[in-house]
Amino acid sequence: MKNIFKFSERPKLENPSLIVGWEEDSGKLSPKVIEYLHKKIKCKSFCEIEPEGFFSLAGVAIENNIAQFPESKFYYSQRNDLVIFKGSEPHFERYKFLNAIVDLAQSYCKIKDLYTISGTISPIAHTNPRRISAVFNQRQIQEKHRGYGLQDLNWEGPPAINSYLLWVAKNKGIPGASLWPQIPFYLVAGEDFQAIKSILSFLDKKFNLDLDFAELDEEINNQNTKIEMLREEDSEIDKYIGMLESELSLSEDEQVELTMKVNEVLYLGYPRGENKD
Amino acid sequence: MGIIFYKEPELKNPIMFCGWPGIGNIGISAIESLRGVLKAQEFGEIEPWDFFNPRKVTIEKGLLKDLEFPGSKFYYQRIRNQDLIFFIGQEQPAEGRIRYAEGKKAYKIANLVLDVAEKFGCRRVYTSGAAVTQIHHTVKPRVWAVPNRQSLIEEIQKYENTILMSGIEGRSSQGTIAGLNGLLLGVAKKRGLDAICLMGEIPYYLQGAPWPYPRGSKSVLEVLTKILDVKFDLSQLDELVKTVEENIEEFLESLYTAEAIPPQVRDEIEKLRYARPTEPGPITKEEQNEMMKHLDELFREGGRQDEKHF
Repeated sequence: MKNIFKFSERPKLENPSLIVGWEEDSGKLSPKVIEYLHKKIKCKSFCEIEPEGFFSLAGVAIENNIAQFPESKFYYSQRNDLVIFKGSEPHFERYKFLNAIVDLAQSYCKIKDLYTISGTISPIAHTNPRRISAVFNQRQIQEKHRGYGLQDLNWEGPPAINSYLLWVAKNKGIPGASLWPQIPFYLVAGEDFQAIKSILSFLDKKFNLDLDFAELDEEINNQNTKIEMLREEDSEIDKYIGMLESELSLSEDEQVELTMKVNEVLYLGYPRGENKD
Repeated sequence: MGIIFYKEPELKNPIMFCGWPGIGNIGISAIESLRGVLKAQEFGEIEPWDFFNPRKVTIEKGLLKDLEFPGSKFYYQRIRNQDLIFFIGQEQPAEGRIRYAEGKKAYKIANLVLDVAEKFGCRRVYTSGAAVTQIHHTVKPRVWAVPNRQSLIEEIQKYENTILMSGIEGRSSQGTIAGLNGLLLGVAKKRGLDAICLMGEIPYYLQGAPWPYPRGSKSVLEVLTKILDVKFDLSQLDELVKTVEENIEEFLESLYTAEAIPPQVRDEIEKLRYARPTEPGPITKEEQNEMMKHLDELFREGGRQDEKHF
């Protein structure tokens, strides 16, 4: 069988932990967390999974004017004893792809555990704290994480790729956890910096990364300020967010209106109160 | 990638019946009903992970308990000295967004099913599916039969309410069978095994509906019971036929009332109510396409939500 791994270097790793993030995620949570880690703890790529057989190679997708190409890369930070995998969710052969991640992490990197991160869409206000729900694949690793403020998830239904990965890791005897911070539904299309910080704070505490959150705090303040101004100028929006803060639910139309107006302000830069046409 | 056997029953020249989900679940419902009535016992399954994505995860109090894959299971039973093997697949191994199995995975699973057939000395395989055609949902569906060799034609001609492709108006003995029902016939032919696909008719305006079409399954089941020379009480299936028919009538009526589909579509469906099956289609291909444009929209399924939507 063709080797699906392409190494650019072969670093010596000592029993690291693996963090897995996907390119597409609610509130851009996992790509932004990985990007922040790269910047702050200086990660270096050392291996990638070849796309052939896992992705459609009939052409390239274009997003926001840019041609995209699936990337499935492993990075390492020797100083922090971490391996990071960042990739696109495979279109085909999911089982083989997830096995490839775990096999490389187990046989080459000798990882001791793995953590996946992904946002979960929630009916909460952006001013609420982001609770992180967690799923573990073994009782022991669950016990080890008591005291981190994680909430045990209950779920029965179609699985996301992270649960599938946890199951593959479990079958190979690797302890793992998937972490699911809440993302307010109206921030799903853009970035939810508060949720990004909640995960980074967990990782900081867990792996003693000594992260500097100054840049992220600035982004959170900017985002909150823009939404605050919108609330001041638009009483309906203020009412909707107020209802979410009081744990009241919104109708479908109200949700759509809130999402549209917040996104216009945050990402399209429409001045509030002006006709965008 | 392989087959797990829980036990290896001693079987003598068994006949194999295969069912997969498809349009109106006509084939799988017929085969599954037969398996259920005969109380066939499970004896093996195809390992699912290389063919299917998991359909359900169970997480309890933060612990991942189970990941459930679609089953592809084998069962056996003996009636009147005739051994039978049933294969029931809960999904076709589709790749990407294709609805029916095709490509490498489909070929692999078809071969695995026939590996089991040959391992137990089986020389005859039946598959079952749906034949989309211009009939009304109140009309008794016929069963289209396609064998994989000439020598089976004579036998098929003896089955009641069954027609060969050459007997279908406007078909000139031609056609295609999509997915595993067709592929299995081909792979069986390659291996020298006899195989027949039995397809229950379904009105083309229901081909995208998310409900089963038990009237079609019943027609197939009647042929299968004749083949096996057994008699079953089909009253439960009759009840289901009645319920689904009432639901279809109600659904169509609500569409007409809400003007969700144009009035001419109603007329076109009504034309079918009184057409005899031997007549050429009472509506044109263009009329059919126009109807499907409206109905397909209405039947389109919503996305399934995972933990990201917790």
